[in-house]
Order: sequence, then structure tokens, then C-alpha cells
Amino acid sequence: MVVHPVLLIAIPLIAAFIIPLAKKYGFAIAAGAMAFNMGYAIGMFSYIYSHGKIYEMIAGFKPPVGIFLAVDALSAMLALLINLFAFINFIAIGKEWNYKFSMLYLLAIAGSTGIVLTGDIFNMFIFFEITAVASYALIAGKKDEKAIEGAIKYMVLGSIASIFILMGIALIYSQLKTLNIYDIAARISSMDEKIKWASFALLLTGIGVEAEIFPLNGWVPAAYQGASSGVASLLSFGPSKAAIYAIARIMMVIFPFHATYEIALYVGVVTLVIGELAAFMQEDVKRMLAYSSIGQMGLILIAFSLASQNIQNALIAAFFLIISHASAKSSLFLLSRSPSMGGAACKYTGIVGVLSIIGMPPLAGFWGKWYLMLAAINEKLWLVIMLVFFAGIVEAGYFARYLHKSMGNESKLNLRYKVAMVVMVSFTILLGLLPIAYKMASLPLWGW
Amino acid sequence: MLDIIFAELIIAAIITFFVGKKIASIIAGFISILPLFALIDWANNFGFKTISFGIERQMNISVAGITLHLGITPLSWFFALMILPLFPLIMLYSYSFFKENDGFYPFMLFAFASTFGILLSKDMLSLFLFWEIMSWSSFLLVYRSRDKEAIISYLIFSVFSAFAILFGLMILWHENFSLLLSDIGRINGIYGFIAIASLIIGFSVKSVLMPLHAWAPFVYSKSDEPFVAFLSGGLSKLGYYGMFLFLFTLNGVKILQNYTPNVAWNYLLAVVGSLSAFVATMLAIMQDDLRKLLAYSSIGQLGYIAIGFGIGTPLAITGALFQAFNHAFFKAVLFLAAGAVAYRTGKWKISELGGLAYRMPLTFLAALFAIFALAAIPITSGFAAKWLLYEAAIQQKYVFIAPLMLIAGVGAFLYSFRILYGVFLGENRYPDVKEAPKSMIAAMFILMLPLIIFVVFPGYMLDLMKPALSNSGIESIAHTKFAIETSLAKYNSMAVLITLIAAMVPAFIIYKARKHRITSFEDNYLAGEPYEFHNPSMHAAHNFYKPLKGVVLPYFEPGATYYFEKIYKGIGILSNGIRRIYTGFVQDYAIYVVIFLLAVMGWLIWM
Amino acid sequence: MDVMGIAIKVALLTAYAVIGTCVGLLFMGIGRKIIARVHNRVGPPFYQNFIDVAKLLSKKTNISHGWIFDLALLFSISGILLTLLFLPIGGVQLLSMEGDAFLVLYLLAIPALGFALGAGASGNPNAGVGVMRALVMMLSYELPFIITLIALMIYYDTTSLATIVRMQSINGVKSWAITMPPFMLAAFAADMALQGMLMEQPFDIPVAPHEIASGPMVEFGGKYLGSLMLYKAIALVAETTLFVDLFLGGGVVAHGNFAFVINFIVWLALIFLLFILSILIAASFPRFRIEQAFGFYWKYEAIIAAISLIWVYILVIK
Repeated sequence: MVVHPVLLIAIPLIAAFIIPLAKKYGFAIAAGAMAFNMGYAIGMFSYIYSHGKIYEMIAGFKPPVGIFLAVDALSAMLALLINLFAFINFIAIGKEWNYKFSMLYLLAIAGSTGIVLTGDIFNMFIFFEITAVASYALIAGKKDEKAIEGAIKYMVLGSIASIFILMGIALIYSQLKTLNIYDIAARISSMDEKIKWASFALLLTGIGVEAEIFPLNGWVPAAYQGASSGVASLLSFGPSKAAIYAIARIMMVIFPFHATYEIALYVGVVTLVIGELAAFMQEDVKRMLAYSSIGQMGLILIAFSLASQNIQNALIAAFFLIISHASAKSSLFLLSRSPSMGGAACKYTGIVGVLSIIGMPPLAGFWGKWYLMLAAINEKLWLVIMLVFFAGIVEAGYFARYLHKSMGNESKLNLRYKVAMVVMVSFTILLGLLPIAYKMASLPLWGW
Repeated sequence: MLDIIFAELIIAAIITFFVGKKIASIIAGFISILPLFALIDWANNFGFKTISFGIERQMNISVAGITLHLGITPLSWFFALMILPLFPLIMLYSYSFFKENDGFYPFMLFAFASTFGILLSKDMLSLFLFWEIMSWSSFLLVYRSRDKEAIISYLIFSVFSAFAILFGLMILWHENFSLLLSDIGRINGIYGFIAIASLIIGFSVKSVLMPLHAWAPFVYSKSDEPFVAFLSGGLSKLGYYGMFLFLFTLNGVKILQNYTPNVAWNYLLAVVGSLSAFVATMLAIMQDDLRKLLAYSSIGQLGYIAIGFGIGTPLAITGALFQAFNHAFFKAVLFLAAGAVAYRTGKWKISELGGLAYRMPLTFLAALFAIFALAAIPITSGFAAKWLLYEAAIQQKYVFIAPLMLIAGVGAFLYSFRILYGVFLGENRYPDVKEAPKSMIAAMFILMLPLIIFVVFPGYMLDLMKPALSNSGIESIAHTKFAIETSLAKYNSMAVLITLIAAMVPAFIIYKARKHRITSFEDNYLAGEPYEFHNPSMHAAHNFYKPLKGVVLPYFEPGATYYFEKIYKGIGILSNGIRRIYTGFVQDYAIYVVIFLLAVMGWLIWM
Repeated sequence: MDVMGIAIKVALLTAYAVIGTCVGLLFMGIGRKIIARVHNRVGPPFYQNFIDVAKLLSKKTNISHGWIFDLALLFSISGILLTLLFLPIGGVQLLSMEGDAFLVLYLLAIPALGFALGAGASGNPNAGVGVMRALVMMLSYELPFIITLIALMIYYDTTSLATIVRMQSINGVKSWAITMPPFMLAAFAADMALQGMLMEQPFDIPVAPHEIASGPMVEFGGKYLGSLMLYKAIALVAETTLFVDLFLGGGVVAHGNFAFVINFIVWLALIFLLFILSILIAASFPRFRIEQAFGFYWKYEAIIAAISLIWVYILVIK
């Protein structure tokens, strides 16, 4: 069997362009495309699980015009995660909106998937643009003041970010005349030292805006608060995960230097602490979850930044943290639609989500923190460990408050929401419990 | 077999999600007896002749690429002996306590299974894993209380404790590169010191040692009584299990001493324990909420165990383990009795209760007996434990700890009587209240048995803990069946009991010599005031220790809770400050982005 | 131990129980007489308390408030006898080798708790208030008492009363603890604590007849009150004996033939003196309020006791 990862990007894009032609069937087309994507992502992952990574060059065109895809275990994993959750999430929320929403949703998913699959930085930029533009529109889709405000903030910062990304790419291209990340990686030493660093700084800043790292995440609270809960859920498992992965990929493949890892570590720690502290006194649930997401992205970045010494532990940590955060936070955002957690489904979804983020076993979040600690202690990063612990305690504080505040007997959620929530949150349980998760996490992840 | 026991516990936990309350409590009760069979079987390992069921002593489970090493050790066997029997009885009690099954049983079973797991852990990962499972399952039980302080403080302190333990374990792992506890070698220097100190701090949260007790008054006073009985009786012992494990079995004391030969860190633990015992006792005296009183009493009584570990001589450790064992049972009985009272009357405030002794005589008897054990009256095994600790303090000439311990012991009489008088004696305010349901009574009376057995045979208790002590290189102290002997004195429980029974004879003769007539309590001498004048209340339980309150309480203000609240608020202020970074103006954010870019670029280029 | 030995032991214990009761009642009578004289009254005859107890125990009307009320009777007498028999009296060890000072402290709580239970069960608010006061008093005087006790214990390196008595009797009066300066302070503190233990003025707060109608005893009559009087009498002997054992060598001055008789007489004289001292203090001071008593014990007395403890500690660790 030959797997074509490009289909994962092409199908939703095509579907997105078909939808305006068949407005009535917008939901069905989008759902079908996403179901296909989900199935295909599963297939691709299982292929990679047994055969190793895939490189695919789209026939006939050479970079930068053509698309070069490099799929390794972790990107296949993320593609699977994004498409799976996208499908579940879309089933839950898609019917509430018109065909435009479906179209934008598909674009955002196609973009996010593209970011994780591509092996070409210019394509990565294009996918970022697609994702970002779709996301602005999705956030603004709620059409109230807050939504517009969030969308505008996101848009302003997103535009700056894309300029920076583009400048970074241009700098690299001007020196090396290539956009393929493996080519760049092979010849990175021939780059001018200052331009090398400048391009990394530009890329980190640009992608960092999408990856919600501090201080580039000014848009995050407003956007998450303004967006409808379904879109907030999408943002938390889709673009942000893709972006953090993109940072990791650029850092680990193109710029595997001590200085870059160090910067990522510092940025990660600061993001973690600031995010968690900001969430601590936040009363608005969505805003609190948004700040909390910032903190979690910091944690994931810390995990990636530890990969220079402890690649095994660090990547397992990152894997579990991404899983935990994606599944828990997206279900918590869905849950945030209702002010109180009535009924067993809502109550336990909230509890499991919170416990996973705090890092309680046997949920995925626990393994994330455990391996993160193993990686960190190996390098004797005492201060980092202390700050992670401190952030964890702060996290416990506001999540306990959240659990208490949202305690209630009523739930405004309909059945589709509940099912989506429960399915999403069950991934953190399953992947925490099943030994296969560990095997997935410890696959020979990085082919480079 | 062992894996089957674990699997059955987990399956039972899942099943109890879906069944009714009665079935759930029956399932939970019977399933939780299984580990007791294992305990009986394992007793063969430690020099006791019992029945063998062929349950293995060691087991390895693979989870997520890591092997969990489980197995029984003498220490964990002794702790299991005091923690695990509580559970089936608490389930028996809860059979009539709850109206419906709303998530109590599954999490209790998770808590129980994880407790069993903690005790069986032979490596750090499984210890921490089960510790965390215990943390969240007990948190979810606290969560049922719907009380803000309880929920927030419990989760924060649990996470704090977990991180402190994790930190210690990680350092040990880093120094030894083995997760097995038995591989922990001699770690000297600062790392060993930090590891042990951090572990002790982590464990002292669960063992409610001051000043990390701040969560306990909220949690103990707001959660369901059967859970609190298990929390105070059982789960708090896990903290001391951890302390014992790392301090004595794994030579933590020596690690501490090697780093700082001139500082007696264990003395610090003893001081903290004695202050805990003293302060908590004083605060317990002042409480009006029955559950808060018992919470502070727990803190105080558990402080004695820390004193024993702190003094660290064989005598003291024996006393501490004995106290731990007693506390598990008498505090469980007390919380269950409090629950039975609330079950019948719906009241928690002592000043609103009264006169239940004649309405609920069996509950009263159970509570009375537990209070005897708590106050260390020599007709229960509570005395032997405290006696050993006092002896140890005198033997070591710890002149600061000994008076605090002893005065805390006297203080225990005060709050004990507060319970007895305020709840059970005095004005008969609830004439229509019935005795607590039979299952509750049965549970409480069975829980009293160990207290009776080990007052008659205190020597047996010392035999039971002998394997645990000798495994840690601690010699066991001289004793016979009835008597314990130290270098300072001897305590013969039989002499006390026989003499007491003999001395009952003249008392009984006097009692029987003349008949008496029983009158209602309205027939009282009220110095000429008519009874109606005192209506609605003739109960003197309101603000009972008022004279003491004014004198003592100011010295304990503000308490640890105040400082923790300060910290909480401080973080809140910090949080509000940090949220100002997010000004809401997108221009600012754009500037941040540019600054970040320049900073990163500058750092990379010029560093 | 053979049957004969046990029989002798039982006989001895019984004898001391009876002696203790009689001495106690006698002292109480004498005490009443002395107080009367101080107050410039004639007072009852010294054997008045025997008559009182006999009368009360043989009363036909006895009013109880239920079985918990009866516990007062049962536990007060048995508990206090138990305590008495665990003290060395006049050089006779009795059961004091089977326990120690801590055991005695806790045994003293048995009758008190039984008494408190009965008082509480009566449902009379005065009784509740009285017991509360008694318990607060207990908390108050126990602190200085415990500190002096610990001073003695670490000095003699034992907690056994029998051993403390033996070590103080090696050189007769000269080796009594009270002859040493630190223990003089301690003895002063302990004597004040004894005043509280005996519930004599100025520390008769728990009974305070004028305020709370005799407090805990308010509902007791007939055999119940009689048993309480017996309890009080034996408690008087037990508590003064405890003091004598701790500071005055248990009254042991002689060894050899007839030592038994001499020691017994010395013991009796010593506890009588202590009792007279307490009665005289009682006769001359008015009652404290409860907070005042608490402050008195926890501030002044505790500091005195603590000084002696530190002093002893320095002596010991040298």
C-alpha cells in the first residue's frame, strides 16, 4: 500500500472549494471530507508505525512551487490527532452554522495538517496563512463585539507574524537557495552566522505568535474568549499544536544548536509561569482556559527544548503533553459553553480534563510531566523544575476554583456536544492507560 | 493472585459507577476484604503461623513501557494491617449512611486500591503513581462536599505534596539511576539531603503535620463522614508510611546526618510534631463544629507519630507505630459516630446537639470507648502508645517536647469531654431520635476490637511490628504478653485491668446496697428557677470553654491558614499584575512581538 | 508467684485501700475543724465525715438519672482506689513497680472522667459548667506539675515512682529531692498544683458552691454523694502521697527492723502536713476566677517550674 499524505491536505481543500457550489450540503461535504481525513490519517499513522517515515514530492514541480511532504512518526501522530479531533468537534458544532463555517473549518484543518506534514518552509508559511485566515474568520463568526475584537487582535498579530515568517524564509533562501528543511539543515553551517540567527529569531517570533508563546500571545485571551466554544476548542487542538510542532521541527531540524534550545527553554519557562499565573485570578472561564493553554504551550515548548540532551524522554514528554492538552483542553472548551457542569457526562469530562492537565495518573498528562521531569533532572535544571512545580500548584489552584465554580445540576449542552466531549477526553485516559501510547511515543521519531 | 486482586478492585470500582447504593456498598465491602486475605497469607513470611492462600509476594506489572515492581515488605505489611481493615467496615457503615449512589463508592474503591498499591510499591514510579491515584480519588471524594475552601485547599496541597515527593524521588533516581527503592544507596551531600527533606515535606502534607495541615480542618469538616473516617484513619497513615520508609528503612536519617553532622534534623521533626500536637489540641478545644473538632484532634494525635519518628529511638518508633495503629481505629470510630449522630439529627454543631446518650446508647458506647483510646485512658490500648512515646522523650531528655506532649494529652481530655457532654449528655433535646442503623453500629463495634485486644495484650502489638522494625535495623523493646519494659519503668496492662476490676467490687457493693429511682432530667435542682425559665435550652454546651478561649486563643492567632491565605492572595496579586501585561490593546501586543524579536535576535547574535 | 504470695499481696492492697479511705475521711474532718477555727467557729467533730458517708450510703431515697449517671459512682471509687494502689506509700511499693508516674497521671483521669460523665448525664447545666471548670483547672495545674515531674524524671533517669522513692531514700532525709535548690522551686510549683488538684481555695472554682450550686455534684445525693465523698477522701490521700513520693522521698527515712512502721508514720505525718498547708492556704484566700487561675498556673507557676527544669537539665547534661 502506498500512502499519499498529500491527500490529507488536498481533500479538505477541494471540499472547501466545492462547498460554496453546494451550499445546502455544506455540512455533509465537510463532514465527509473530515471523515475521510480521519480515516486516512489513521491509515497513514499505522503505515508509518510499521514502515517508518514517508517523503513525498508532488510530481512535476520543484520547490518552492511544488509541495514537499516529510512525514515522520510525530507529524503523522499530530496529523491524526488534528483530523480526529476536527471530525469529532465538527460533528458536534457544525450544524449550528451555515456552509461558510464548514468551509472555513475545512481550510483551517487543511492548513494545520499541512503545517505538520510539510517538509518545506515556504509551504509551511502558506499553510500558516491558510490556517490563520480561516481562524480569523472562524473567531469572528460569532459576530458579537468580543468575537470581532478577538479576531481583529489575532489578525493584526497574525499579519505581523506572517511578515516575520516570510522574512525569515527569505533570509534563509537568500543564503542557501533552498526551502527544503533537510537541505537547509545539511547546509546550515555554511550560512552567515548573523543571518542564521536573525532568520531563526524571525521564524521563532512568527510561528511563536501562532504557538501562543509569551509575549507573542496577546491575541490569545481575547480570541478564545470571543470565539464560540467549538472554535475555541478547534484553536486549542488545531493551529496551536501545529504551530508548536512547527517550532519544534524548525528548531530540531534546522537549528539544533545549544543557543536555540536554550532560548526555547527560557521562553517556554516564562510562557508557562506567566500563563499559569495569569489564569490564576481569571474569573471568565474561557479566558482562564486560554491562559491555561498558554501555560501548557510553554510546558510543551520546555519538553521540546530538553530534546537536545534527552531526546527520548523529552519527546515522549512532548507527545503526552500534546495529547493531554489537546484532548483535555478541547473538551473543556466545549464544556465551557455551559456555565455549570450538570450530569455525569459533563461532570466527569470536566474532572478528567482538569486532572489530566494537572498531571494525575493514569492520564496522559501524568506521563507528560513524569518524562518531562526525568528529562529535566538529567540536566539538573533545578530552577526549571521548581518553576514547573510552582506552575503546577498554581494550576491546581485555579482549576480547583473552576471545578467548584462550575459545579451545578444543569447543563445547557446538547447530546452532540456531550458525545464529542466525552470522546475527546477519553483519549487522555486511553493513551495514559494503554501501553501502546508509550510505544507510539517512543517510535524512532526523528528521521533526520 | 495479586494481579487478580488488583484487577477485581478496579473492576469493582468501575461497576460501582453504575449500580445502586446498596449493591455498590456490598460489592465494595466484599471486594475490599480480598486484600485482607493477602495480609493473612503474608503473615507467614514474618514469623506468624497463619493460613496460606498461595498469594505471591512479588509481582511485576508493565505499564507504559515501565515495569511496576510490587511486593510486600514487613513495613508495608504492618501499615496494611492498620489501614486496610478499616475499609470493609466503612463500607458496611455506608450501607445505610447514603441515600443513593452518587459517585462515592467508585472513588472510595480507587482510593482503597491505590492505598494497597502504595503499600506494595517497591519502586519509585509505582509509589508515585499510586500516590497520585490516591490523591485524585480522594480529591474527587472531597469534591463531593461542594465546599470551596475544602476543594481548593485539598487540591493545592495534594499537588504540592505530590510535587515535593516527585522532586525527592527524582533526585534519588538521578543519583542512583534505578527506580527500585531497594537500590537507593548511600547518597551523601546536598542531593541526599534535599531528596530526603523534600520527601518528608511531601509526606507531611498527607500526615497533616503543622504547618501543612491547613487543608485538613476544611476537608475533614465538609466531606462525607465515611470518607473522612478513611482519610483520617487510613490515608493519613500513608504519609507516615512514607516517612518511615525513607527515614528508617532506606536510611534517610543517616543521609541527613552525613550531610550535616551537627544538626539533629530528626529533632526538628519531633519539635514540629509536638507543636502540632499541642497547638492542634488547643484549637480542638475551642471548636464548636463536631467535625472540625475531630479534624484538629486528628492533627494533634497524628503529631505524636511525628514525635516518635523524630525522636527516632527504638522506644519512640515503637510508640509511634503503636499510636498510628490505635489512631487508625479510634479516629475512624469517632468520625463514624459523628456521622451516625448527624445521620439521625442532621446537626453538626455541638451546641445544637445534646442528650443523645440515652437515645443512641450503642453509638454513645462506641464513641466513649474511642474517646478513652484517644485520651489514652489506661483501659484502652491508646495508653500504651502514648506511654511509650513519653518514656522515649524522657529517656532522651527532650525537655521541650515532653511537656508539650503531656499537656496535649491533658488537653485531649478537654475536647473529649466536649464531645461527650455536648453531643451525648446534658439536656435531652432529641426525644424522638432513634438508635443508628444496625450496620453502622456493627461497623463501629468491630472497629473497637483492636483497641480492646491490644490493651489486654500490648505485647502482641509489639510482636506485630517486630518484623517491620527489624527490617529497618531497629531493635524491638523488651516485652511480655502483658507488660512492656523500658530502661525507665515498666507498664503492666494486666495489673491495671485486674486491679480496676477488683476495685470495681467495693464500688459495685455500694451501688447495689441501696436501690435507686430513675427520674427524668427535668427533675433537676436549678436553684429555685423553674425549668420553663431555661427553655428552650438548658444545655450548657454553647461556647463551652469560653474562659479558656479568651486567654488561649489570641496566642494562636493568626494561624497557619491565615498565612496560606496570604500566600494565595499574594499569588492572586501577582496574577492580577501579570494580567496587566495583556492590556487589551493590540498595539501593545504588536510592540511585544517586535521587542521579543529584537531580544531573541540580540541574544543569539551577541551571546 | 504462688498462691500465698498473691493472697498476701491482695490482703496488703486491700488493707492499704481501707487505710487510705479512713485516713482521707479523717483528714477531711480535721480539715473542716481547722477551717472552722480559722473562721472563728467551733466546727464539726473530726469524725464528722465518717458519719456523713455512712449516712449518705445508707439513705433509702437515691435518685439516679440513668445508667450513665451511675457510672460516676462506679468509676469514681474504683478509679481512685486503682490510682492509690499504684503509688508507693510509706516505702511500701504496692503495685508501683507495675506502672510509673505517667500511668498514675492517667489513672487519676479515670475517676475524674467517670465523675464528669455522671455529672454530665444529669442534664443539669450547673453540672456541665462545673465539669468544664474542673477540666480547665486540670489543664491549668497540670502544666507546672508535668514540668516538675519531668525535671524529677530526667534527674533520676527513671519514670517509675518506686525508683524515685528508692533513690531519694538512700541517705534518708538528706537525699530527698526537696533538699536540692532546683527541686525547691519545683516543689513550690508542684505544691501549688496540688492545691488545684485538691480543689481547695483559691482553686475551688469547679465546685464554687455560691456560683454554680456545687457544680458537678449538684445532682448527686444519697449513695452517689456518699461515693463522691469517699472519692474525695481517697483522692486527697493519693494526691498528697504523689507529692510526698516525688519530693519527700515517699516518707522513707528508716531502713531495717520497724522501718515499715516508722516510714508509715512519717508518710502519714508528711501528707498531713501537706494537707494542713493546703487547708491553711484555702482558709486564707478567696476564690480565683477561672481565667485568673489559668493565668496563674500557665504564667507564674509554669515559669517557676520551667526554671527548675532548665536548672536540672543543666545539672544532668553536665
